[in-house]
Amino acid sequence: MASIVIENLTKTFGTFTAIKQMNATFADGQVTCLLGPSGCGKTTLMRMIVGLEKPTSGRILFDDRDMANLPPRKRNVGMVFQYPVMYQTLSVEENLALPLEQDKSLSSAERARRIDEVLDVLDMRDKRKLFIGDLDAGSRQKVAVGRAVARRSDIVLFDEPTTNVEVHAKLLLIRAFKLVTQRLRQTIVYVTHDQTEAMTLADNVALMKDGKILQYDTPSALYETPATEFAGWFLGNPGMNFPPAELSGATVKTPLSSLPLTASATGLPKGDYRIGVRPEHVDVLVAPRPGSVPAVVRDMNVTIAGRFIVTLDVGGATVKAKTNGRPPVAVGAPAHIGIDPAHVSLYRDGVRVADVTGHAA
Amino acid sequence: MASSPGQSAFKDNRRVIIFALLAPVLAFFIVFNTIPTLWLLGLSFHKFSLLSGMPPEFFGFRNFQDIFRNRNGIWGDLGRTFTFVGVGVLVQTTLGILLGFLFWGSKDMPGRRLALTLLFTPMVLTPVATGTFFRFIYDPTFGVLNALVGWMSPTGTIDFLGNPQIAFWAVLAVDCWMWTPFMTLMTLAALGSVPKAELEAAEIDRLSWPKRVSLVIWHHGKFILMLGILLRTIDSFKTLDLIIPMTKGGPGQTTRLVAVELNKQSFESFNMGWSSAYSVLLLLISIAMTSMFIFILNRRRKGR
Repeated sequence: MASIVIENLTKTFGTFTAIKQMNATFADGQVTCLLGPSGCGKTTLMRMIVGLEKPTSGRILFDDRDMANLPPRKRNVGMVFQYPVMYQTLSVEENLALPLEQDKSLSSAERARRIDEVLDVLDMRDKRKLFIGDLDAGSRQKVAVGRAVARRSDIVLFDEPTTNVEVHAKLLLIRAFKLVTQRLRQTIVYVTHDQTEAMTLADNVALMKDGKILQYDTPSALYETPATEFAGWFLGNPGMNFPPAELSGATVKTPLSSLPLTASATGLPKGDYRIGVRPEHVDVLVAPRPGSVPAVVRDMNVTIAGRFIVTLDVGGATVKAKTNGRPPVAVGAPAHIGIDPAHVSLYRDGVRVADVTGHAA
Repeated sequence: MASSPGQSAFKDNRRVIIFALLAPVLAFFIVFNTIPTLWLLGLSFHKFSLLSGMPPEFFGFRNFQDIFRNRNGIWGDLGRTFTFVGVGVLVQTTLGILLGFLFWGSKDMPGRRLALTLLFTPMVLTPVATGTFFRFIYDPTFGVLNALVGWMSPTGTIDFLGNPQIAFWAVLAVDCWMWTPFMTLMTLAALGSVPKAELEAAEIDRLSWPKRVSLVIWHHGKFILMLGILLRTIDSFKTLDLIIPMTKGGPGQTTRLVAVELNKQSFESFNMGWSSAYSVLLLLISIAMTSMFIFILNRRRKGR
């Protein structure tokens, strides 16, 4: 077991900087998801951790061991690629056995036991004698996962492993993956651009953008209290609403609330203030309630699980709301919206600066 | 289902278009390939010399009998040619693979591009020019090679192309010089066809180099490499233009390959009937070799 420590890490390709002065620690025995849009440097970071790319400057340590100049084979890591790698002339069983055979300290009985264990976890016992031609992409990727974890290396890395797998197989793969991680407690880094995957699998999510980690937090904290407007916008579907706000002392005024709100901090400097509120915390109402404001419904769309996404105009701002079931309003008709102060945060110049504690007296 | 008139017209049209597109190629192929081959086959059963001025005279299998009775020493030529092909292709493949791996493994080396370009130049030279240059290089009195290694001989000079013991190997060495780059190129192409992720996975899985080659590289690269060997074998079997400027088949018959003798019999002695029979035999040998390669290429994993 080992934690991954990243110190002042920078990687440039020609004039393009993929990773900028990064510092982070990915905790021992936990699943860390690197989440971010394409080109944010998440795959580059992973390839440097495994040793397939050399850092331009900075260090990577596993616990206190510096990994500089160590080739991947000496780092004791496992890795699963986007492209399902399976040695094509070997059966499923032989594929799993191959990395174990490189470890001379294992007895053959121990090797057989580990292969059986992995086959069980992956639910592939009946497929052990099959070859690549007999397997779909999902099963091939499961073999790759099995090969990476059977060695019980300290660290296992996953580079968008579900990209080339069709939806049903993807769910099976993620379930197998969860079982494996719960069983083996290795330190895992999992690269993905799929927020659902990151939210489902991770103990901690590192949200990346432009070669930097914007926020390293638990999935729920990242979702509930995103540290930046980018995080709020990138996570959730649709992303967080950021209507403008005015701050005086600890009192926040916003077009989304007829009553002023109270910020948890005072004496904040001037800047572009906005409140952040998730669409599911915006209530669409027929009759007004204390704090609610009138709005006009501009658009309404049904989405997964019978939920509706409603777009409303409120005093110059556009707000999206997510409701369970069809809301009691019609497109083009007036309505009211209310927000729950407990789920509102205050942002200045794109960065979260304070909670909102409730309505001001 | 009743097809509408429009549909069937379209189908007919398609057939016409396919035929119209293929027709020129087929005509070309028949005129310049099929007819000459059949002509050759027919001529092989005739006695026909361009010098005699007589029309072809039906001869039955006499030409073939002549060949099997070793007229003009053709069994010696065939044996020599097989040695030339076997040793040549083996050396070229071995060196080509080694050089291919060298260039593959040194992607960051400065000057790699220049070195590759220089390496490939022998391959693009005209064989006749190469042969002529090597005749000068091998020359016993003013050749460069003698200036370098002549001291190794007790007489102070080595007559590379004049010494019956050396000439064959000297010619073979030129063939290797010329065609090893081709096998390097094929090796690089074969290595390029290996998915990068599989190589990276093999590194992370701590596989030894022999395992990486046998499990990953060979599996993906074998087809292209075998294709290169096949092309080299066929090409090497008909080597002529490299030999003519160097030795013309001599000294004695030590560098006389099948194509050299065929060239002499047909285009110097104008012995058309006999040459045709010889060509037919060589064609059959080429087809047999190609079939063997294709069989090996198509052979699947045992037990699957």
